[in-house]
Amino acid sequence: MASTSRGEALALPRVQCPNHPDALLVEDYRAGDMICPECGLVVGDRVIDVGSEWRTFTNEKAVKDPSRVGDAQNPLLNGGDLTTMISKGTGAASFDEFGNSKYQNRRTMSSSDRAMLNAFKEITTMADRINLPRNIIDRTNNLFKQVYEQKSLKGRANDAIASACLYIACRQEGVPRTFKEICAVSRISKKEIGRCFKLILKALETSVDLITTGDFMSRFCSNLGLPKQVQMAATFIARKAVELDLVPGRSPISVAAAAIYMASQASAEKKTQKEIGDIAGVADVTIRQSYRLIYPRAADLFPPDFKFDTPVDKLPQL
Amino acid sequence: MDQNNSIPPFQGLASPQGAMTPGMPIFSPMMPYGSGLTPQPVQNTNSLSILEEQQRQQQQQQQQAQQAQQANTGPGTSGQTPQLFHSQTVGGSTTTALPGSTSLYATPLTPMTPITPATPASESSGIVPQLQNIVSTVNLGCKLDLKTIALRARNAEYNPKRFAAVIMRIREPRTTALIFSSGKMVCTGAKSEEQSRLAARKYARVVQKLGFPAKFLDFKIQNMVGSCDVKFPIRLEGLVLTHQQFSSYEPELFPGLIYRMIKPRIVLLIFVSGKVVLTGAKVRGEIYEAFENIYPILKGFRKTT
Repeated sequence: MASTSRGEALALPRVQCPNHPDALLVEDYRAGDMICPECGLVVGDRVIDVGSEWRTFTNEKAVKDPSRVGDAQNPLLNGGDLTTMISKGTGAASFDEFGNSKYQNRRTMSSSDRAMLNAFKEITTMADRINLPRNIIDRTNNLFKQVYEQKSLKGRANDAIASACLYIACRQEGVPRTFKEICAVSRISKKEIGRCFKLILKALETSVDLITTGDFMSRFCSNLGLPKQVQMAATFIARKAVELDLVPGRSPISVAAAAIYMASQASAEKKTQKEIGDIAGVADVTIRQSYRLIYPRAADLFPPDFKFDTPVDKLPQL
Repeated sequence: MDQNNSIPPFQGLASPQGAMTPGMPIFSPMMPYGSGLTPQPVQNTNSLSILEEQQRQQQQQQQQAQQAQQANTGPGTSGQTPQLFHSQTVGGSTTTALPGSTSLYATPLTPMTPITPATPASESSGIVPQLQNIVSTVNLGCKLDLKTIALRARNAEYNPKRFAAVIMRIREPRTTALIFSSGKMVCTGAKSEEQSRLAARKYARVVQKLGFPAKFLDFKIQNMVGSCDVKFPIRLEGLVLTHQQFSSYEPELFPGLIYRMIKPRIVLLIFVSGKVVLTGAKVRGEIYEAFENIYPILKGFRKTT
């Protein structure tokens, strides 16, 4: 009986405490009651319990959690996961005479989102390779969704857009990865990732901060196994070199690599240019060039409290 | 066509030209190449006479010399209101075919971003971008047999598996042409508009001599590249912070800052050393205008050490 006319908005009878209409009701699920917190009046009863129907006693992470019906919901990214599908049968009756399964329609599961789901899988794979945390992956997924819905980069390979989104997400989270690092985990070339990166920034009308030498120090130094002192010294050297404008026009990665080289050569843990070049993705001639630029002022660049294993005048001169 | 000469030169304005070296045929934003050159479409013949072409060039150079003399007596070039230069916010005139195009009426000031100062004589940079490359296209108007051209012409290469056009080069002006079988041709490498046109005519003449009924239709300059040096180092990081919507600076991808100016629609590559490359122009004036727009901005980001 549609007693409420369609003219007014659907006024579902809101349960409220008669004495305190503004109070938010507390739900007691065990008894199925809605209780007013001000006066304790039980306002609604026989509320339907949405908890699980049975209790599970399995150990920590069993393969299937019977309390869940379906995958964890990802509402932000999939546009409402409310579809269901019929799975393959398990008994003998589900196969017909030739051995084919009787119900065959497993296709067309949200075809419009299929490419997006594929891309999310790819993003997760790429991020796992370089151990990126969940927040970066989520940000990447969000960026990809925005770009995908906009359709301005529709012609580009999804993998290229995914890699570029990963790069942008790392930058936005304040932990930039070099293009070469992203290339290492993606099948797309640096050129294509760079192109997609610029296109995405224009499409989403965002911008990213400029990279600095300090962003990469901790990663490069720990990959090389350098102690904290050397890392701090290298950070200081690189920052000072940029402040004194000794390396105009050089990529911050190259300056960082040269600073690490100088710091490591002055300490007990000496690393060769080739090793540093491998970790940073910089050619060793590039490190040599940047090193030549900072070498003349080496004495000014070191932090004041640095313990030299090799004094400044004995630093290698290339 | 010499209507310019009939208008008395404008006197009495403090001349920034004084700052520039007078007495030589000045290639400057306010006195463009051939200041007497109004666009003269009537003379765009389709005949392939190289001699005609060269004569035309000589004529224009003479006109230039005349104008230079005239200009030495008075600041403004005749037929061109100096306001066009000083205010510099008149986008209208400079985006027409030639900046020297005569407009007897002062064109209305159009607002332009980025802002250019309207004060006369204080902001002229005195630096003129030099043109480095001109790309132009022309339609020869008939189907061509590339194989014959490649076999019979000198300095022609043709590798159909790699690219579907004949690549021909001439030494004077030093240019390269891509000649397609549809009869269309692209001419690159010239350093000025007239040279590009002359070169295109020379290529068309070569094709004509090989027996094809070549014409010279729709010659159009598609792109012009210029470069210059502001002579001081630039803080690109500062520039990208303040002009975020126009600039893109990714040291990992390219060492220069890519500045996409909206009006005129020119892309500038700005380097730390102070060198600037301007590209994407269809007419010379756009390059000059773009440089005059960017110069005060760059001065603001000069490195102080």
